[in-house]
Amino acid sequence: MQLEKSSRLKELVHTCSKEELIWINGYINGLLYETPTSVSKVSILYGTETGNSKSLALNFSTEAKKKGLRVKLIGLDQYKLQDLYKETHAFIIISTHGEGDPPDAAKAFMNFLGQDNLSLPQLQYSVLALGDTAYPLFCKAGEDVDALLEKAGAKRMSATVKCDVDYEQSANDWFTKIMDSMQPATQAEAATTPVVASAKSHERKYYNGIIHTNINLNDIGSTKKTFHIEIGTEETVDYLCGDSLALKPVNEYSIVQKIIELTGADANKTISLPKATGSIKDLLSNNLNILYLSNSTIKKYAAIVQKDIPPTRVDLLDLLQQFPVNNSTQFEEILGILLPMAPRLYSIASSPAAHEQEIHLTVALDTFETETGEQTGNCSRYLGELAVKKSIQFYIHKNNAFKLPPANAAMIMIGPGTGIAPFRAFLAERDYTGASGKNWLFMGERNFSSDFLYQTEIQQYQKTNMLHKISLAFSRDQSAKIYVQHRMLEQAVELFKWIEQGAYLYIAGAKHTMSVDVEQVLLQIIQEQSKITNEEAILYLQKMKQEKRYQKDVY
Amino acid sequence: MSETKNLSPVERIKTKSDGLRGSLKESLDEPITGALYDDDQTLIKFHGLYQQDDRDRREERSLKKLEWLYSYMVRLRLPGGFLLPKQWEGLHEISNQYSTGVIKVTTRQTVQLHGIIKSHIKPSLQQFDLLKLDAIAACGDVNRNVICSAHPKQSALHETIFAYADKISTLALPKTNAYYEIWLDKEKIGSSETEKDPLYQDRYLPRKFKIAIAIPPNNDSDIFANDIGLIAIIKDNQLKGFNIAAGGGLSSTHGNSNTYARLATMLGFVATEEQLLKAVYEIITIQRDYGNRGDRKLARLKYTIDTMGVDAFKKELAIRCGFELAEAAPYEFTERKDYYGWHQNHEGKWYYTLFIENGRITDTETTALKTACYEVAKTGKANYRFTCNQNLILADILPENKAIIEAILVQYGVITHTNDASAIRKNSMACVAFNTCPLALAEAQRYLPTLIGKIEPILTKYELLSEEITIRMTGCPNGCGRSPLAEIGLIGTAYGYYNLHIGGDRNGERLNKEYKQHLNETQILEALDHLFSNYAKARNPAETFGNFVTRLNLV
Ligand code: HEM
Ligand SMILES: Cc1cc2nc3c(=O)[nH]c(=O)nc-3n(C[C@H](O)[C@H](O)[C@H](O)COP(=O)(O)O)c2cc1C
Ligand code: SF4
Repeated sequence: MQLEKSSRLKELVHTCSKEELIWINGYINGLLYETPTSVSKVSILYGTETGNSKSLALNFSTEAKKKGLRVKLIGLDQYKLQDLYKETHAFIIISTHGEGDPPDAAKAFMNFLGQDNLSLPQLQYSVLALGDTAYPLFCKAGEDVDALLEKAGAKRMSATVKCDVDYEQSANDWFTKIMDSMQPATQAEAATTPVVASAKSHERKYYNGIIHTNINLNDIGSTKKTFHIEIGTEETVDYLCGDSLALKPVNEYSIVQKIIELTGADANKTISLPKATGSIKDLLSNNLNILYLSNSTIKKYAAIVQKDIPPTRVDLLDLLQQFPVNNSTQFEEILGILLPMAPRLYSIASSPAAHEQEIHLTVALDTFETETGEQTGNCSRYLGELAVKKSIQFYIHKNNAFKLPPANAAMIMIGPGTGIAPFRAFLAERDYTGASGKNWLFMGERNFSSDFLYQTEIQQYQKTNMLHKISLAFSRDQSAKIYVQHRMLEQAVELFKWIEQGAYLYIAGAKHTMSVDVEQVLLQIIQEQSKITNEEAILYLQKMKQEKRYQKDVY
Repeated sequence: MSETKNLSPVERIKTKSDGLRGSLKESLDEPITGALYDDDQTLIKFHGLYQQDDRDRREERSLKKLEWLYSYMVRLRLPGGFLLPKQWEGLHEISNQYSTGVIKVTTRQTVQLHGIIKSHIKPSLQQFDLLKLDAIAACGDVNRNVICSAHPKQSALHETIFAYADKISTLALPKTNAYYEIWLDKEKIGSSETEKDPLYQDRYLPRKFKIAIAIPPNNDSDIFANDIGLIAIIKDNQLKGFNIAAGGGLSSTHGNSNTYARLATMLGFVATEEQLLKAVYEIITIQRDYGNRGDRKLARLKYTIDTMGVDAFKKELAIRCGFELAEAAPYEFTERKDYYGWHQNHEGKWYYTLFIENGRITDTETTALKTACYEVAKTGKANYRFTCNQNLILADILPENKAIIEAILVQYGVITHTNDASAIRKNSMACVAFNTCPLALAEAQRYLPTLIGKIEPILTKYELLSEEITIRMTGCPNGCGRSPLAEIGLIGTAYGYYNLHIGGDRNGERLNKEYKQHLNETQILEALDHLFSNYAKARNPAETFGNFVTRLNLV
């Protein structure tokens, strides 16, 4: 810059108040980035200790959505760090604590940013730093984020704004400026995952997935285990909210090993069975059901080994130990009577639009009493033990009878336990696409403190006015058991009003006895509220079913 | 009133709270979170409650998509720190039913229960109410629990002086009935008319306010750390009146040089009860009117006095009182401690002072402290009195009952526990810090016992183990464990690191000073080894450690 110009600038700057400087800064920025860039999706990330950054982030998210942008709003403690490589526009709101430290919730994020070879050339960002000028290291964490992102090659959209304890005004200015520099992409540009018409051929399409995340959602002290599993795929999976994922469990390797040792079979010998061909080891691992055998299988086993065997459901290994086979040939005969491993279906908990290239599941570890003690379900155990980076094969089971309503229709979701899964997908999809219909969620579990599945996500939906009503039933927090149907009864007037006004009603989760009880209560409410007979109420519900306003995904 | 910016957000919350009611009822009923709405989190402090969360569980719960594990601490209002045996029984039972089970004796002669979840707050407070106990104004920007020298051995006038703690407490109690409505489900009795509060108006105080009474020669209540410190002046076994000191407070903020620990300034003497109550009242009104309401870090009375100047403050006080304080009467403190073990008072009643490390009453493998206290309560033969050093006195035991109590104490290992603790351990104090204090930078009560275990061998090495050296640790510079008033103060700076302060006197009349910054355990032990070695070699006869390091100008 010419010396003269620069001294004139300095002179001007000298006479300005802070507010004026901020204005000038914005003005010049405006000149530089005149035309708003068109953007389809932004991410608002917050790192908070005492909640200030979070409440700002929630407000900003609502604003950005009003503007027609698609927004991913998430706390840095829950942010999947690998996602940074995919972000194009990220706005980070972060406070400083301790002595210039980031909030605890943001430490992992900071460490990730601090990696030597981090490269984020695709990313445009801006940082809002919260702090307190009474501390010597004012807004240090925010400054650090900015510096590290710059070092990683990300492009700063606008300068970091540092806020003192009265942060509202500067924070709003920061965000307004960002919003002004962007405009929502048109539909064509926004190119979300295309909704491909379901595969025409009847051939089943198998996908390969990699486990990205596998966490037990229940906290210490819970009597349950519920796994939240995120499966990443290379190809875009063709599915819609409401569909299920089908997969076959793999039998525990140690059991297969024991069976082979016990029978002296040749693990690598290829065998042809009516439904599958493969090595004995592979068949035992992947294709055959070897646990909790059916009575008819046990009968056939008894016939082969010519023993009297009581009809108690047990595992193959138990049988082999108590009623051994004569030789490996007889064992191969046994293989022929085993039922093929049946695929298990799980309601998908993710939205193809909001959770790009990922499928999420909510899997409760299935425990049941048998005559030989407590057992866990083979598939839920298998899924629960799947470590991150493991690969699995699956296919999509379409469920056209469980689909989102029109965008402007109200929706009532009743999903206690893992019944929450498809509704998590519904909410994510509606949130992401900005569907205007109202949403009411009924959910339940055992204890509030340890079993509130997806609590923080649901809180966020409530705070951003995505979820208009939520009714919770924690059965074991008080002496009397409370379930979702009790909450429905408490809300009978309002519930019926929603239904009368055209709401779509969904039930997901356990068929017995939940869905039966819920339906009973539903009929009771319809009957009492509209003062009709039970038969008329049944007709009312049938009509709703025909209009697709009553849908169930129960198992 | 200095460069007060705008009012701090807390001021707005107070004035618009409708007599501390806020939206507490709605907050309590909100089922989606274990927390209260933001503003209500401030208001519950005035009801003796503090929202906390288990910081140990934060990270994992975030991954599980669960909110932080919120719970509440309740602190009772117990002027002079006194409970009847029936009340102790009730406290014991409530602690088992609703809290973590630990009864925490605080440094201000009351008890706290931690870990009460939101839905259990009301049942707990209702049970306390049946015991005629409440938590009104135990926290918040009001006058807190008034404390008083605990041990009746101090003087035959003990009962008389104790009564003043109660009178002052009543004088400075907020007038609102909100507590009864919200927690005890009483009808709304208050209206803004009947609840007119001439002392607190609708703004309450700018900050917490603390009052303590000491009976020389023991300064066990650490009066110079309080906003108002009262010294009972006794001559010829007659209570002549009180010296009044004001403007004490220990907290500071790392790196904020406008904040500092300060001892109370001696203002003068009053001879009558009427004058005493008037002077105390008007000191509070000056603080109400002149205190800094813009910056909570600079809002305590100590800053108000320093901003006004001591003379101007005295002048204002004289105007408001309508009389001037007389010249302070001579007094002498020679100690600041609890008298462990058995003592008999002038009436022949017996008192047993139990050593309770960091005030935590719970059963351990060696000492069933909590069970012992409960068993004693069930006999109905002892009252309970808390000391200002987080210990407990079993009080007012008739000579014929002493053996019964003694037998219980022996049975549960309490007597051995009290006798065996080293002098430094008995003179130690630590604040709550992790895992519940949101401000903690480092551990305190969970760690100090271990650290002392490593200091004891060093003292033994230099034959100093019987020295009554005071050591106090706090997890941050707020000084809840009064660390600035110890011969050795350890003040947390970051996890595992402490500033080492030395040079306080033994009676609480001189603050310690920073000796070394940011030490880890090894460095702390090295520094103390070095200091103790010098002390053992070069001390004068009977010279305390704090006086020694001060004489040598080590700080
Ligand atoms: C665990 C939650 C606690 C929190 C968040 C907390 C918070 C604070 C804060 C912010 C201060 C500084 C106030 C100022 O500006 O002067 C302070 C000082 C203090 N608190 Fe606490 N405190 C806690 C527990 C306790 C307990 C259990 C006690 C014992 C009864 C206590 C007694 C004190 C004392 C003695 C001081 C310092 C002396 C003074 O300046 O008055 N605090 N606390
Ligand atoms: C214990 C503590 C330490 C803090 N340290 C700093 C600091 O070093 N630098 C700073 O700029 N602000 C500091 N602050 C101020 C916070 O950053 C500020 O209050 C911010 O608004 C909090 O935002 P949050 O609620 O999103 O965490 C500190 C606050 C607390 C309570
Ligand atoms: S001194 Fe600090 S860490 Fe300790 S209890 Fe007080 S505020 Fe918490």
